[in-house]
Amino acid sequence: MTAETAQDDMDGGRLSHDRTVSDPNYDGEFDAVVVGAGLAGSAAAITMARDGLDVIVLERGVSPGAKNVFGGVLYTPTIRELVDIDDAPLERYVGEKRFGMLSDDDETAVALRPGEWHEEPHNDSYTVLRGDFDEWFAEQAVEAGATLVTETTVTDLLRADDGTVVGVDTDRPDGELRASMVVLAEGGNSLVSEGADLKETPDRRDVAVAVKEVLEFPDNDDAIQDRFRLSGDAGASYHYFGDGAVGDAFGGAFIYTNDDTLSVGLAYRIEDAVSSQPKPERTLNRFKSHPAVAPLVRGGRTVEYTAKTIPEGGADAMPDLVHDGAVLVGDTAGLVLNNGVHLEGTNMAVESGYYAGQAVASAVENGRTDADALRSYSRSLNDSFVVQNLERYEWLMETATEDRDLMFRELPRAIADAGGEYFRIDREPKATHAENAKARLLRTVGGWRGAAKLAWRYRKVIS
Amino acid sequence: MTDPWTVVVGVKQVPDEDDVSIDPDTGTLDRADAAAILNRPDRNALEAALRLKDEVDARVIAMTMGPPMATPALETAVAMGCDDAVLVTDRAFGGSDTWPTSLALAETAEYLGADVVVCGEETTDSSTGQVPPGIAAHNDWAQLTYVEELDPLPDDEQLAARRDVEGGYERVVADLPVVVAVAYGENDPRPAGLHRKIYAETEFDPVELSADDLGIDEDTVGLAASPTQVGGMETVDPVARERERVETPSELVDELADAGEI
Amino acid sequence: MPTANVDDHEDVWVFVEEHDGDVASVSWELLAEARELAADLDEDLVALVIGEDVDDVAREAIQRGADRVLVVDDPVFEPYRADPYGEQFRYLVEEREPDVVLIGGTHTGRDFAGRVAVPAHAGLTADCTELGIDEDGHLEARRPAFGGNVLATIKCERHRPQMATVRAGVFEAAEPDPDRDGEIERVDVVVDEEDAVTSVLEREVGDTADITDADRIVAVGGGAEGDIEPAIELAEALDAELAASRKAVDEGWIGHDRQVGQTGKTVRPDLYVAVGVSGAVQHVEGMNDSEVVVAINSDPNAPIFEHADYGIVGDLFEVCPELTDLLEEADEPEEVIA
Repeated sequence: MTAETAQDDMDGGRLSHDRTVSDPNYDGEFDAVVVGAGLAGSAAAITMARDGLDVIVLERGVSPGAKNVFGGVLYTPTIRELVDIDDAPLERYVGEKRFGMLSDDDETAVALRPGEWHEEPHNDSYTVLRGDFDEWFAEQAVEAGATLVTETTVTDLLRADDGTVVGVDTDRPDGELRASMVVLAEGGNSLVSEGADLKETPDRRDVAVAVKEVLEFPDNDDAIQDRFRLSGDAGASYHYFGDGAVGDAFGGAFIYTNDDTLSVGLAYRIEDAVSSQPKPERTLNRFKSHPAVAPLVRGGRTVEYTAKTIPEGGADAMPDLVHDGAVLVGDTAGLVLNNGVHLEGTNMAVESGYYAGQAVASAVENGRTDADALRSYSRSLNDSFVVQNLERYEWLMETATEDRDLMFRELPRAIADAGGEYFRIDREPKATHAENAKARLLRTVGGWRGAAKLAWRYRKVIS
Repeated sequence: MTDPWTVVVGVKQVPDEDDVSIDPDTGTLDRADAAAILNRPDRNALEAALRLKDEVDARVIAMTMGPPMATPALETAVAMGCDDAVLVTDRAFGGSDTWPTSLALAETAEYLGADVVVCGEETTDSSTGQVPPGIAAHNDWAQLTYVEELDPLPDDEQLAARRDVEGGYERVVADLPVVVAVAYGENDPRPAGLHRKIYAETEFDPVELSADDLGIDEDTVGLAASPTQVGGMETVDPVARERERVETPSELVDELADAGEI
Repeated sequence: MPTANVDDHEDVWVFVEEHDGDVASVSWELLAEARELAADLDEDLVALVIGEDVDDVAREAIQRGADRVLVVDDPVFEPYRADPYGEQFRYLVEEREPDVVLIGGTHTGRDFAGRVAVPAHAGLTADCTELGIDEDGHLEARRPAFGGNVLATIKCERHRPQMATVRAGVFEAAEPDPDRDGEIERVDVVVDEEDAVTSVLEREVGDTADITDADRIVAVGGGAEGDIEPAIELAEALDAELAASRKAVDEGWIGHDRQVGQTGKTVRPDLYVAVGVSGAVQHVEGMNDSEVVVAINSDPNAPIFEHADYGIVGDLFEVCPELTDLLEEADEPEEVIA
């Protein structure tokens, strides 16, 4: 209620004491509290707000995205359903995907540049800067009617006597807030969910460490366009694996092109970070100095350096997504796919936020907050690409782990050596070279039988 | 039983000086990306005012002079605990230097019936520190600057304070009404409570006061009424420095000895 | 808005700040600078001394360059309070119509300057780093703007007096010349103890050295992460005053009176050693006139290195103790072999 004139606010020469609320209390005012204004959180908030729910999003950073770290490519099919992506702050679309196997100083690469990707909708793949994108995305939630409060960290969940989640506690004074439902979108570092026993602290094997730098080229405005052969808004997404990328560890490196910066980084399993690997920063520097990579990043000035942990567990490591009064979405729900070939998390985050939002809205409308009322979320997720992809590649990660020495070290070297041998120019006939190349390769995979076994083992990758 | 005190806190929204960068090409300051924040010294002022409220029966009202986009500063004040806030806004105020600014705020303080006006020591963008004494002078009220601690004496209608003076301190007592400028960094500004923050950022709206509401003649404010004008700006030649990198402390000692410094 | 009749205003005034007979160094610094301004304007330089039993101060003002001194002597002016000083000064300004009034930017000066500027509708520019007279005879008050990369020139063309405050350490004082002659005038006291709205219960000023006077300074910044001992010891070994950046003061590791920078003090020592100071523009502004600057910081990209003559990239918790040891060794008297 706003006053017509200043005079209305006055009361005997002083501002009227009734004008303001002395003891505001929002317990029970919101249908849902969303913990975290990242992609999953905002997607859930947008969905619920559009369905008429009173939603509040609590974000610990100064602004949404401030605390988010990711490689760089956003997959947008579901985002496109939720918002008008033409208004979003996108950097470049991915017009080329390139995979390189690196050994000490060799590279063997495959590049894909389908013409179709250079036309709308650009295969729904764009590089973004999370600080900008998340802020914009959260803004869409606010426009849909949600309330966003920043610089506020949720520290714990509030429970009723029967264990139902009934709200959150935060780091602010007077910091408890009660609401019908809590959507936990805390990201990979899900301290609240773990502290509240809604999920297990991830197995050491199921978490990866990721480091990333953003490089700019102040002395060379055309560096990115020239080195990656880009024009207009086209961008590229380069992926590397093998011991020339991440050494002995299970993981891979990446380079993504933004408008005028490069996102360069790598991710590998945390147990490797502790056991055999040098520090992540050193691994990253080694990657950047690989002879096939160095020319791409030469002259780059680091303007941002970040590190984070990514859950990699796959379908089996997913926690229970629904509880009485609460649901888990995004990285908190373990919805990340990282097998070296596919690196995805953002699209699954948005998808899960969307389905969770729908489930919560429907439960609240029926006056229910129990886990059973929310099961439509788990079901929708199981039926969606999210869990299906996770399950499909679950085995790949297990299998590849067993074969890791072969996959990440010996095979890249063998392919490079074989390739080098096959194309060797000297005075021997080509047949000799072909023979030597084949022999080199077969020796590594265990002869023809070994090759056949390997092909059979990994058939699922392309079938 | 004395009347509750009306404590008015002056706040200002300024560009975040940590965000301001130098454009490498032109050498000029780039404020475009700087977020607008509450002037940091004003947080100490708000904390001091709220402590008064903790000790005596008081009502704390924040005031700021600025365009409507200055409202977030008032929301922060209310979130921290201020009971209310006013936005003093009028095209007529545009271009004011400290003279008309302190006039407008002085009139506002009177309008609100202030017993105490609390301000930050200075703003990080203009840092003149002249608005609090200006407010006191326009209203002919007592003033206390560089205040480290406040000690309300409601029975005597006075406010005692510990002032920072070069090389020491003094304890001064002032009759109400009084204008206080709190020394920068002297206290720990309290975090805003969750529910108050939600309230301040969603439902709260400050009262808007125009020059007319305050009975201020437009001729007495704005650019034309500002005695000081900016005559020119020039980039400063940076002081030439050697910029020599030294590897070890003993090398440094040698260099300094050679240069006659030690 | 009525403006002053500019031509009727004459003379350059400098307020001489004293407490209990001790004159603030900034007053003599201002007097020296004002001597030149008065010469450029072809006007008199007048010192204004307000206090109790201040004859000695008045005489020194003449020796330090004033042509005339106006003395206001009364117990009501000791110790300093804003309202009696402000009211008395305002009265004098209205009566005598000075052209320029300069006040030291100390806690005292900045406290009462506004009480004069407001009723006189004077233009007041605070924290000037340069003063001059333009071709039209107006005061040009220059001060850093936007974090110190730009120098703004402020003028006050249609109002009088033109007032400016200047922080300690910006100008240099002139040595007193015992042979200088001048006129000392005692003026009417127009304030009364009854009118005072403040009273000073207690005033304690210690022997704390004013960092603006120091020849050597060791400044500690955010890199110390709470432990300022290495910096303190280095300062002792160098016989330097300890100072700090805003970060260290904000964190509570050290007092605000030792802060160097835009919201702290301006210093110009012969040697300035910045320990764990990042070198933000606002800090550099307060020490850029140092003769020699040394920077110690673990971040090779820290801006402070751009403003230093010598820089060591390293951990201050290693570098400082090493430096301290080397300096203490050097100080030890050599063994004399008889």
